[in-house]
Amino acid sequence: MHIPDGFLAPQIWLPAWGLAAGAWTWAARDLRRRLDEHAVPRLAMLTALAYGLGLIMVPLPGGSSGHLLGVALLTLLFGLRPAFLAYSGVLALQALLFGAGGITALGVNALALGLIGGATAQGLFRLLRPLHEETAVALAAWGSIMVGALVLALVLGAQPWLARRADGTPLFFPFDWSITLPALLLPHALIGIGEAALTLLVWRHARRRGWHALPARAQTA
Amino acid sequence: MTPSRPSHAAHTGRRDRLLLYAYAATLVGLSVLHHPGLLAACFLLALLAARQEATALLRQSLAAILALNLSVSLGYLLLASWQAESTAGSARFLLTLNLRVLLMVFLGCWLVRRVNLLAALAPWPTATLLISLALGQIETVRRLVADFRLAFTSRHPAPPRRAARTRHAASQAATLLDKSLAASTEASQALRSRGAFDA
Repeated sequence: MHIPDGFLAPQIWLPAWGLAAGAWTWAARDLRRRLDEHAVPRLAMLTALAYGLGLIMVPLPGGSSGHLLGVALLTLLFGLRPAFLAYSGVLALQALLFGAGGITALGVNALALGLIGGATAQGLFRLLRPLHEETAVALAAWGSIMVGALVLALVLGAQPWLARRADGTPLFFPFDWSITLPALLLPHALIGIGEAALTLLVWRHARRRGWHALPARAQTA
Repeated sequence: MTPSRPSHAAHTGRRDRLLLYAYAATLVGLSVLHHPGLLAACFLLALLAARQEATALLRQSLAAILALNLSVSLGYLLLASWQAESTAGSARFLLTLNLRVLLMVFLGCWLVRRVNLLAALAPWPTATLLISLALGQIETVRRLVADFRLAFTSRHPAPPRRAARTRHAASQAATLLDKSLAASTEASQALRSRGAFDA
């Protein structure tokens, strides 16, 4: 789920870029100290996986597209800050190499999916892990998709109010919350199940290979 | 006198950075342009400036935006006709939105062809590190998926059954993860030997 270029008013995407730049600076602080030569290959590999997942997308009439993210997986294995940075890189590459998503919308997409989605995954996982670890992984992945979709639906649905001509015609994205919320949340409730299943599969694979134990320094972020 | 190699690389990096800044400024400019005629003129200029690359870039941009923009445009048309909004106003809005999106994506595709992103991002080492590692992995994944697809097709002259597809997908996924991990381990060891992880 990306917002493409040209759908957002500059009064949204310019401040979002500013906020995202601050968040990227925060996330990049001490990154080299926290990631070593064992964690970096895994981060790179799962970043490539997230990139691949994001390219298999279905357009949604709510002004976005539906696809798996992989952000929960990155967050659960490497911590929020490296995952946010890596996912922002994925979004930038998808926008530049395939025109999927957009550079103007990069700040909003990165904050909604990478930071808020990742933080949701981390929060849900910490909350539910004492009950049952694998259920916590699945719900964290599903929750990250739903919260990311909710933020994007709210941002998109605000466009007709933020920027329109004197005659009421919108200047950017035309649909309000009555359309964006169901159009994004309903399909993503199903996509989230796929994301949960995939996250769980890779999580098990990572456990079998002992990946999750290595980036302990990263997970404390 | 021919420039020395390092100064030539620095010059290319500066040029790429300038193009990146110009692209960013153009995006801001396009965001405040709401006249379809002006947007069409800008698009025409971009097509002319791209010269022989214009057709390929246009095809690439259209492929990227067609499905999503079509669904939004048709949705808007349906809603506008249901709410009996003026046809001229709807047409003007759809033209503005689609031209703006197409032009922005076209410029992005053009930038990628013209600019070495890693050289342009050189002043931001963390971004360069992450993007170069991810790009390396993407290439590994792309090659591996193509190899697997060819092998699978050659093994199944008749349409394969679901069980065969499932087995193929599972073995492809496991190989992808392992191979990608091996490739990026190699890359990060090379980075380590060059001091990339030294605090």
